[in-house]
Amino acid sequence: MKLPESPHLRLFLRRLALGTGLAVFFTWLALRQPQGDDGRLVQEEFLAMGTIVSISLYLDTDQDRDAALDALDDARHDLETYAQRWSAWGDGALGRINRQLDAGERVEIPAELQPLFDAAARLGTASGGLFDVRVGRLVELWGFDDEAHYRSAPPDEAAIGAAVADLAGAPPLLAGAAEYGPATGARFDFGAIAKGEATDRIVETLREAGYPNVIVNAGGNLRAAGRRGGRAWRIGVRHPRPGTQQRVLATLDIDGDEAVITSGDYERYFETEGETGSERYHHLLDPRSGMPARGLQAVTVVAPSGALADAASTAIFVAGPGQWRDTARALGVDQVFVVDAQGRIEVTAALARRIDFAEGSAAITVP
Amino acid sequence: MSRGDVLAIVLAAACVGLLYAHLWQPAVTATHVELRVGGKPSGRYALADSRDVAVEGRLGTSVLRIEDGRVRFLRSPCRNQVCVHSGWLHRGGDAAACLPNRVSVGLVGGDALDGVAH
Repeated sequence: MKLPESPHLRLFLRRLALGTGLAVFFTWLALRQPQGDDGRLVQEEFLAMGTIVSISLYLDTDQDRDAALDALDDARHDLETYAQRWSAWGDGALGRINRQLDAGERVEIPAELQPLFDAAARLGTASGGLFDVRVGRLVELWGFDDEAHYRSAPPDEAAIGAAVADLAGAPPLLAGAAEYGPATGARFDFGAIAKGEATDRIVETLREAGYPNVIVNAGGNLRAAGRRGGRAWRIGVRHPRPGTQQRVLATLDIDGDEAVITSGDYERYFETEGETGSERYHHLLDPRSGMPARGLQAVTVVAPSGALADAASTAIFVAGPGQWRDTARALGVDQVFVVDAQGRIEVTAALARRIDFAEGSAAITVP
Repeated sequence: MSRGDVLAIVLAAACVGLLYAHLWQPAVTATHVELRVGGKPSGRYALADSRDVAVEGRLGTSVLRIEDGRVRFLRSPCRNQVCVHSGWLHRGGDAAACLPNRVSVGLVGGDALDGVAH
């Protein structure tokens, strides 16, 4: 292109080009920054283990988004295999064991199931039986095994009594045992530990794949590792009786490698209208009575592993208002808070130091 | 304009641009409002809980309204009402003050949650 003859026009065009260039440059800078931040967060959400699982990765500057999505896909497939293996009613390894138990056979615990069976046995013993993976028959009786089976009234008392007696008569699950049974009263349900362990596995798999900054949310079971760029992962805990304004009861930061898992009476439950008002029947069953555990609305546990936090939150919920602290101690978890039936909060000193409760909710710190 | 001038301008612009890119933070939604009277902290309120907060300043009572994750001066005993006219604040770092009444508010904790346990 030939430049115009007039020196004024040439000067004008030069300045115009420079000005436009600068404007474009600043516009690019302004638009680039927020995208740059969001672009480093890669998320995938899918259905697995009967719930929504969401995994987020925070990428290093040199990591590629597509490669991260591939890693998330691998994690998803791994989780699907895992879910099938641990499904109490499906055609995986645990489902097979349950069918053999039903048939009155002695079962061999396959090597792939051994580590979580051991963990469940140890936690079951430490909790004095409040956490028990042998409760499958009770879960089934109450219809909490499948959303399609939800009842509108509690099961017959005699049926509950019989199931509790059968469970009490079944042999205990021992750590390190390679076999179990025969025990027709027992049916394995790992629902109170497997989701937690699944989050541990996902974090481990992704760490090995080169992604140390991860947060996993498996149906409200949270497990985080690393950081979200310049800050820690920020976690909220749902209010057990949320109002229009107050949905989150507490918030805390996870910097490092921890799980935050809540057990509450507001998930998987049905209500009946009686003379004394409505009664809530939820899925956190006390293996001793066969009834939903009473006295608490929610229990939140912060622990180094999802499996531990999952099982512990269940056992502590079942322990109830008077015994929860002792049960937590017996399970080796020291960061716990509970909400009782009146909405009062009790929090352990170790958790009180780092958790923020919503304005207006007073928490009592217990040693 | 010589080549040197152009070079100097481009370099200066690049420096400003890099600093801008480095320091600029995207706007974030705040979680709490911090209240100060005469520069001293006098309260911290969650933006999640709607309410009116009355605060005593040098001239009288200022009323703050917290609603839908935002906050504003609803009333203040000052003459020019600059604080009331500054309207709703909702981003981390946002602030407003009633200087005659020595009351100021600032929004903090602007990080959204990465997950909610339930």
